[in-house]
Amino acid sequence: MLISCPFCGEREVAEFEFRCTLEERGATAAERLYFRLADPRRSLEHWQHVRGCRMWLELHRDLRTGRVLRTASVPVPPADGTGS
Amino acid sequence: MGAYSAFGLLREAIRGPRAWQPLWERRAPEAAYDVVIVGGGGHGLATAYHLARHFGLRRVAVLERTLIGYGNVGRNTTIVRSNYLLPENQHFYEDALRRWRSLGRELNYNIMFSPRGVLDLATSDDQLAACARRGNAMRLAGIDAELLDRAAVGRFARALDCGAVRQFPIHGGLLQRRGGTVRHDAVAWGYARAAARLGVHIIEQCEVLGVVRVAGRIAGVETSRGTIAAERVGIAVAGGTAELARRLGIALPLETHLLQAGVTEPVKPMLDRVLIYMFPHGGEVYVSQSDRGGLVFGGMLDGYPSMTQRGEITRVRDVAAALTSLLPQVKQLRLLRHWAGMNDMTMDGSPIIDRIGGDELYLNGGWCYGGFKATPASGYAFAELIARGRASELIRAFRLSRFASGHLLDESGAGPFPSRQ
Amino acid sequence: MTARFRNPTGGSVDRSRTCRFTFDRQSLRGFAGDTLASALLANGVHLIGRSTKCRRPRGIFTAGPEEPNALGTLDPGDRQIPNVPLTVAPLADGLVFASQNRWPSLRFDLSSIAGVAGARFGAGFYYKTFMWPAWRWYEPLIRGLAGLGCAPKIGVDRPPRERHLDCDVLVVGGGAAGLSAARAAASRGAKVVLCEQDSSLGGELQFETATIDGRASSRWLIDSERELRVAGVELLTGTAVVGCYDDLLLALCQPAGYPGEADELLHIRAAARVLATGATERAIAFAGNDRPGVMLLGAVERFAARFAVRAGNEAVLFANHDRVYCAAQRLREAGIRIAAIVDPRARPELAVLEELERGGVRICNEQVVEQVLGGHRVSGVIVRHRDGVGTPTRISCDVLGASGGWTPALQLATQSGLAQRYDAQLGAFIPVSESATVIPAGAARGKLELAAALADGTAAGAVAATAAGRDAAPAERPALVSADPAPAVMPFWRVVGGDEKRQFVDLQNDVTVSDLRQAVAEGFREIEHVKRYTALGVGTDQGKTSGLPGAAILAEFLGKPLAEVGVSRPRPPTRPIPLGVLAGFRGAPGTVRPVRHTPLQADHVADGALMEPAGLWLRPRYYRDHGESLAAAAEFEAQRVRAAGGLFDASTLGKIEVAGPDAAAFLDRIYLARPSGIGIGRARYCVMLREDGMVLDDGLVLRLAAQHFLLTTSTHAAAAVLSHLEYHAACSAAELAVSCTDVTDAWAVIVVAGPRTRQLLRKVLPPAQWREPLEQLRHMDFHCGKWQSRPLRLLRASFSGELAYELHCAADAAPPLWRALRRHGAPDGVIPYGLEALDILRVEKGYLTSAEINGQVSPYDLRLDDMVKRSAPCIGSGLLARPALHEPSRPILVGLVAADATARLDAGAQLIAAARSTQSLGHVTSAVWSPALGRAVGLALLAREFAAHDREVVAADPLRARYTKARVTAAVHFDPTGERMRL
Repeated sequence: MLISCPFCGEREVAEFEFRCTLEERGATAAERLYFRLADPRRSLEHWQHVRGCRMWLELHRDLRTGRVLRTASVPVPPADGTGS
Repeated sequence: MGAYSAFGLLREAIRGPRAWQPLWERRAPEAAYDVVIVGGGGHGLATAYHLARHFGLRRVAVLERTLIGYGNVGRNTTIVRSNYLLPENQHFYEDALRRWRSLGRELNYNIMFSPRGVLDLATSDDQLAACARRGNAMRLAGIDAELLDRAAVGRFARALDCGAVRQFPIHGGLLQRRGGTVRHDAVAWGYARAAARLGVHIIEQCEVLGVVRVAGRIAGVETSRGTIAAERVGIAVAGGTAELARRLGIALPLETHLLQAGVTEPVKPMLDRVLIYMFPHGGEVYVSQSDRGGLVFGGMLDGYPSMTQRGEITRVRDVAAALTSLLPQVKQLRLLRHWAGMNDMTMDGSPIIDRIGGDELYLNGGWCYGGFKATPASGYAFAELIARGRASELIRAFRLSRFASGHLLDESGAGPFPSRQ
Repeated sequence: MTARFRNPTGGSVDRSRTCRFTFDRQSLRGFAGDTLASALLANGVHLIGRSTKCRRPRGIFTAGPEEPNALGTLDPGDRQIPNVPLTVAPLADGLVFASQNRWPSLRFDLSSIAGVAGARFGAGFYYKTFMWPAWRWYEPLIRGLAGLGCAPKIGVDRPPRERHLDCDVLVVGGGAAGLSAARAAASRGAKVVLCEQDSSLGGELQFETATIDGRASSRWLIDSERELRVAGVELLTGTAVVGCYDDLLLALCQPAGYPGEADELLHIRAAARVLATGATERAIAFAGNDRPGVMLLGAVERFAARFAVRAGNEAVLFANHDRVYCAAQRLREAGIRIAAIVDPRARPELAVLEELERGGVRICNEQVVEQVLGGHRVSGVIVRHRDGVGTPTRISCDVLGASGGWTPALQLATQSGLAQRYDAQLGAFIPVSESATVIPAGAARGKLELAAALADGTAAGAVAATAAGRDAAPAERPALVSADPAPAVMPFWRVVGGDEKRQFVDLQNDVTVSDLRQAVAEGFREIEHVKRYTALGVGTDQGKTSGLPGAAILAEFLGKPLAEVGVSRPRPPTRPIPLGVLAGFRGAPGTVRPVRHTPLQADHVADGALMEPAGLWLRPRYYRDHGESLAAAAEFEAQRVRAAGGLFDASTLGKIEVAGPDAAAFLDRIYLARPSGIGIGRARYCVMLREDGMVLDDGLVLRLAAQHFLLTTSTHAAAAVLSHLEYHAACSAAELAVSCTDVTDAWAVIVVAGPRTRQLLRKVLPPAQWREPLEQLRHMDFHCGKWQSRPLRLLRASFSGELAYELHCAADAAPPLWRALRRHGAPDGVIPYGLEALDILRVEKGYLTSAEINGQVSPYDLRLDDMVKRSAPCIGSGLLARPALHEPSRPILVGLVAADATARLDAGAQLIAAARSTQSLGHVTSAVWSPALGRAVGLALLAREFAAHDREVVAADPLRARYTKARVTAAVHFDPTGERMRL
């Protein structure tokens, strides 16, 4: 499988590490940490390009076919949110 | 259908084709059942068998999306053991191991239970200490365990040359003598035949698309072969759990991951034990030799969710490297085929057996990569849960609410990351 | 002196090079260019092995890698290679090989007695018996009968060879279609790689007599090869593409046909692939079709054409297509007398039939071979009318060439995701090509005729080149062809009537027509079930010749069309791959993972350290000069550190620099203990939680500047912590401006610990810069300076409980610094110490490692309640309130002291209340024999409700038959106030 890293281009999946699926569900923080209701046709996932640029990516994948539908770097917040 | 026996075989050899009887009848689903079990794998068939055999429920149907036994029960590496760390898991898998011993006779089908010993190898003193922790816990729980030093490992597993040059040398290991292997296909067919003999209906090519609710309560299932009414619905679909749950709108603490396994060409007996060899950075291989002669082996998950049942060759290569590191003599043996299954990985690596939403909907899933060895215990306990509406002491810890309350059963300490469990 | 069955001329063997070889201790000869199979046949050897279940005598069936029977063990001995298909392995001088699966010999195999039983009892008989008293009573016998060759005892190390290839178009198969595809693609400017599994190109062209563009096909082949090379096409022979893994194709180059020095694994990425994988000849099931001397018709032809070997002197041919007649002509020319041609179809209108009859060949149309006669070799056949009318005839022969037609080789197409459809005329499934990048061509797509294959290949090559973005379009020259006519196959799978228990479908696993009938009767109605139940197609030949006939016979018994039954899903690899080749360079001894050395590796080795893996790192366990044994040396080292001083290499600690305008705020979100409160030039012990509130790691945080920090992590968690930080910096704390950089490998860390360390450092570190800092550094202060003009950070921190300093220096500056410390420290008694001694020191002080921080403990379990209270809300802190974390049965960190000075405590012992109890209250996480206390001490996680000081517990270690009484104490055994650190 090839993943198209927005920074490095198409690289083999062995360079990346999957972390978790998104689509958390639950009334409490504890539940949301664990429970998922993900659509396998469009699984939203966080991956890291560990053996490359080490950036974090959000992937949309179709689990039934294994195809990567969309790759994006993890969203950056709008400009007015920076600084402490 | 007659019972199987050596005498029966002889009779069959003489009478020929006339003696052959179908193991189970092909059927179309009826309009209604007492219990519908979704999933014709090991757990589903075992549950149906026990519902009929021990809980007096006779109008039971097993609905299987494709063919019985074509899922994980037919794809695993056949290892059975009860060498777990946490007491809740220990008691459960030990119950399963005890059932395995007599299952062939109970089902009148030779499932080829072979207690050849399961040996967890330690490649460092730290790993050996972890083995000791687990083994001592097992012994306290009345389960057999032995801690072997290097010399003892070499004596027990003669195919293993403990002195060979390895980056991660053998320091010793934790042995469970009563563990071993079972012929996986035979488990599915054996349960199917036994269940069918008790009147259970086995319906293949029947996919469950949704549930039917009347006044908010479960009343049956919608399937690709029509609507089927049922008083109780039990789900035992292993790798298909996340997908089915999504269709039913149920969020669960699990991800569907890919696990590969492979077999070599058949050779004369060379390995009469089950060996498990683990080393840093995801190094893992477990291997045994099947009764047909091929070495059956597997390793870690591929590491990301998938339902394709097709894996990357990189994982296979890594497991091959681990295998040749463990048993260098297999370098000249050839990989014959490799395959993959879908594993329902939970957030703590332990299964979920529970009633859902206080309704007559029951879930048996989240078996991660360890479901096969649990089959007989899971079948009985799940049947009991469905029949009585309450979980027995044996499976109470597998309740779904443990995630919110924090009573997780995390054997490995990997945390809420199914890919690392 | 030519072998009996070798023709004096013909073939492509090199008659000038004789090769001597040994088979089952029989000395024989052949020529270079022979395979083992052709050399055996040339010498008239037909009995090669015995089948798996029924132990029936078997011979050579095919002439290629799809061989089910003729497997042998090469180089018998400790390093032997079992299950080598003799039809592929090339002959070399001096080769020794042996037959398999027989005892004591091929001819007199005693285990064939068991085989008779196996034959009688049908498929899956072992499921119906062997239950009483238990399977394991019977298992050794059954296991002993199963399997083919014997595994070697010693693994052979070969230098692994791997290549990565990128191309526009990959052509799989170098037959007519493949060669034309390659030419068409190359002429469009595509970069083309062609893989052919055979050692020479041409496929069927090597055996057909045809004319292409006015040239003999053999001439056309030579010309094509040259043209392709000139066009820049990479031609790889002896290279089989074995698997398609989405975008990646894996190919195995195995020139020897068995594991050898030249084996190479190729990873190929191609924009488009042409699958010209050809079609495999298939068998017909008839009684006795497994006897030595019964072969596929194409195999008989191949042996004659390629090796000038006559598989017999008198042949009967049995086939359901027109090609058998052309084949008969060719075989007659090769010196084989054709006794009869048996064809279940009506007599076709072909001129060649009259020619054959004039030559004395008996042509039996609408007839079938009912039975093969003979034991260790075919001696004749019984032929009868297809519908059973009339009387059967006996015809003598010593070889039978049978062919049921051809099955397109679909494995790669299926793996590439193509669907299949059934072609009734062909009697086979062909791939449906809808993809622009995966293009089946030629016989693989059902185009069996040469002209059609050439045209199909040309078209496929053009499509592939276009898909790869190459589009220069030259003129297409149509190839003028005269060749064998289209075969006109009539699907024919088995001879109805006759002994079904002797009609073999899968030869290797002895699956007969009777077994298939039985499977259906027993309720197995799907091909996947039948495959598992009967073992159809699970042998080393992967069902290449038996898969489709098996499915067709199953369809007949089910009363369903073959199109509906389908074939069993082929699984990769399409050819078995040696595990050593698959393992690649990770399979060489000692390299299954990368090895990590600290900069001081050479010094440790020179100092006599026993180096052991700690994760991927090599670290000193102890130094051999310090004691006779591990225990003695560790005790010596630990005592010396407390008495004088020691040096320890802590370079493996993870080190991460965190910097940016919001660095402090970020770290407050990551750690308990509020790093933002650390003063510049100070360090603090901090703990980070996982997202679920469990402890992830501990370490020191050093504040280098207002918004610049250095974190240290434990060795084993370094990678996980880095990813954890990077993740939260990108996700949950994305609004903060911060960057994290891994500097683990940039900085070495030398620990100097013990009462004499300050005076040692005064000698080593130049006073001008360092005298004042050395005097003034308090515990957990650090100072940055230089040593020999390289940066040096001096941190006063202790993991041993003694006065100690960590020297952080550039990795390449570490060896000279270490040596300087060794040199100046030796007179003061300062020695290097290893991990074992470190463990003694830190357990005495109650410091934690991954033994305690095991992923299952909360900060409360480690008595970090105060740290939690002082923290800002951070990752995981929100989940700490869950009731389960505060139950009385939750473990808490305690110390343990053995009641008896001679008793042993071991990590992994379970804690129980009293000797007979079976209720575990916790476990010993770490234990050492403490020189300072003169007895065994440890750390443990013990249920809170039992964790009162001075309570007695038993450390139960039934594995090692030890039950040690111990007293619960605070989790610190030595110098509880920490005076010694603060000297």
